[in-house]
Amino acid sequence: MSRFSGFSSLFRFSFLFLTSLISCLISCQTSAADVKALLKEADAYRLTADSMRVDTEVRTFKGEQPDKTRLYHVYVKPGRRSLVVFRSPAERGQKMLMLGDDFWLVLPASQRPLRITPMQKLLGDASTGDIASLTWAEDYDGQVTGEAPIEGVPCLKLDIAGQRKGVSYPRIVLYLAKSDRRPVHAELYVASDKLAKEAAFKIGEVNGRKVVTLMTLTDRIQRERRTEVHYLARTPKALGDEFYNPAFLVRADIEQ
Amino acid sequence: MKWWFLGFAVLAFHAGKAQAQETPDPVDLAYKTRLVGESHSVRGDSVFARGLPLTSFGRDRARLEGEARGKAGPISLLVTEAVSDQEGSQPASRSLINEAYADFGGGGIHSTVGKKVLSGDVGYGFRPLDVIQREARLQVLPPALEGVNHISIERFSSSAAWAVILANPGSGHRGDPKDDGSLALRYYQRAGGTDLHGVARFSDRFKLETGAAASAVPHESLELHGSFLYMRRSERLAPLAEPASRSQLLSPDLALENKSIGSARKALAGLTWTHETGWSILGETWWDGTAPSAEDWQRLSRQARQRNALAALPGVPATAVAGSLAASTRMFQQPSVSRHAALARIAWSDPQGGRWSGGVDLLRSLDDGGYSLTAAVGWQADKLRLDAGVRRFGGKPDSAYRLMPERGIAFAGASLAF
Repeated sequence: MSRFSGFSSLFRFSFLFLTSLISCLISCQTSAADVKALLKEADAYRLTADSMRVDTEVRTFKGEQPDKTRLYHVYVKPGRRSLVVFRSPAERGQKMLMLGDDFWLVLPASQRPLRITPMQKLLGDASTGDIASLTWAEDYDGQVTGEAPIEGVPCLKLDIAGQRKGVSYPRIVLYLAKSDRRPVHAELYVASDKLAKEAAFKIGEVNGRKVVTLMTLTDRIQRERRTEVHYLARTPKALGDEFYNPAFLVRADIEQ
Repeated sequence: MKWWFLGFAVLAFHAGKAQAQETPDPVDLAYKTRLVGESHSVRGDSVFARGLPLTSFGRDRARLEGEARGKAGPISLLVTEAVSDQEGSQPASRSLINEAYADFGGGGIHSTVGKKVLSGDVGYGFRPLDVIQREARLQVLPPALEGVNHISIERFSSSAAWAVILANPGSGHRGDPKDDGSLALRYYQRAGGTDLHGVARFSDRFKLETGAAASAVPHESLELHGSFLYMRRSERLAPLAEPASRSQLLSPDLALENKSIGSARKALAGLTWTHETGWSILGETWWDGTAPSAEDWQRLSRQARQRNALAALPGVPATAVAGSLAASTRMFQQPSVSRHAALARIAWSDPQGGRWSGGVDLLRSLDDGGYSLTAAVGWQADKLRLDAGVRRFGGKPDSAYRLMPERGIAFAGASLAF
């Protein structure tokens, strides 16, 4: 009797273990798929078409005092391709190209594409990565780790990790509104897993569509620094493939 | 009117139909003005001291530059106006069209006609593959580059590009190699995470120059680069052959000779490393087979001492000694003063985008033990930029940098962009 009892317990344990494992695997797969879907929904508030030009103004503050204002035209295209044209007087003539994990910079004084590292791209008030990277779904994956209210907005909390080496922030804790998946808040971590910046998103209505009109980056290392990234205009625009060739950057076919 | 200017005007007219323009505004203008001051300290014990009053060594100078950059349709312009003042000379002004060209084309095939900067290569301190623009390196607060008159056709795909460039056609052999007529082929290929560059240029002066370069980022903080150039023919400036007669030593025209040296090679290897704290390092070492050798500098020093000794003899005009010494200082104006050199730069910029940045460069001649040490700081506001720094030359006696008639330079610049 005791032998049967023991066999029964083992059977029950094995059954429970297997069903838990299968359930966990299915759950994890569903969770990953859900996260991708959530990120795509959130991306739609930042990038309203696959190929477009985004006019971006970056204002930096030291304490409450305005420090610098910079203007960028960002041309994005599917396949992790972004071309940033620097338009401020102090930076006029500079261009930065991002092709997946690879980056190039052209300076007006030298007129040749310089290969730069992901780390060089990261440096700056709002790094060019903050400006040129307008999607999470292509670059990140992770899981929903819970729910939390952010300034009274019920949010899903996502912990997502970069799926390639060139991302500006290898880890992001992202808060999306439960109601419509709009981005509300993000914690941006650098390679050493140090919290570098926090981002807050402001949603506005442009041409009848809800989009992110302002991203405010608060520096968590130099706490008196704050950066506002204003999305001034989004225009559907598909440049030819040659515009995303590093050798093409020195040509003036694209604006200077 | 030069042929290229006429061609430029005609093609620019037709290029109004260009299809690849992405400029949102019909006319796009930018303006920058800059004031630069340099204080040069002369080396009192220089063997060239008697000739220095006839040269620009040791003279403080200042320049006020205006730079207007514009684009209207396919036509791009870069015009500079500079007023410069050098100690002991009258102020001089110079207007220059640095760039004036039309870019046009579409569907992956593009052309350029006019005067445009055509820099190349992957290095910083030295660029073997910069065979068309031949940009002067390691200047303090350099002025805007002057482009090369050319006509080119380029083919682009998403990961490769080639260009055929006809530069200064009909010019043949000019004083400056940059102004020589030449035909060049440039090639670029993205291979995985590596950039590959190739170049071939044919000119009357150097015949065939062929080279290749590569740049790769194996780690998020590290970039590696290298390049190599083979020149079928080359030339370099060298002191008088020895033994030199008294009349040769006293002739300014014979102080240096331009020697043909047959084939030559140039090579560069380097890296950049950047940390998230804003610190970065550049390290490069190179070989330039067209630069003077350590023995050339020793010979130049020996001949300068011989000229000084002649000055003490009766019947030797002091002006002849000064003239020949002054003429021999042209050795320092070559693009490279050392065959084998290494450059190390450590720099910092605020990773949070603050206004301050700074860096220290050490350029070491591995041939002869000379060095050039530069420290500089920069401050960038919204439109205003300030730069200041010092450069010091030194090293072993008879090394190129120690023989330099100047001990160092202090420099400062202020620029305002609109």
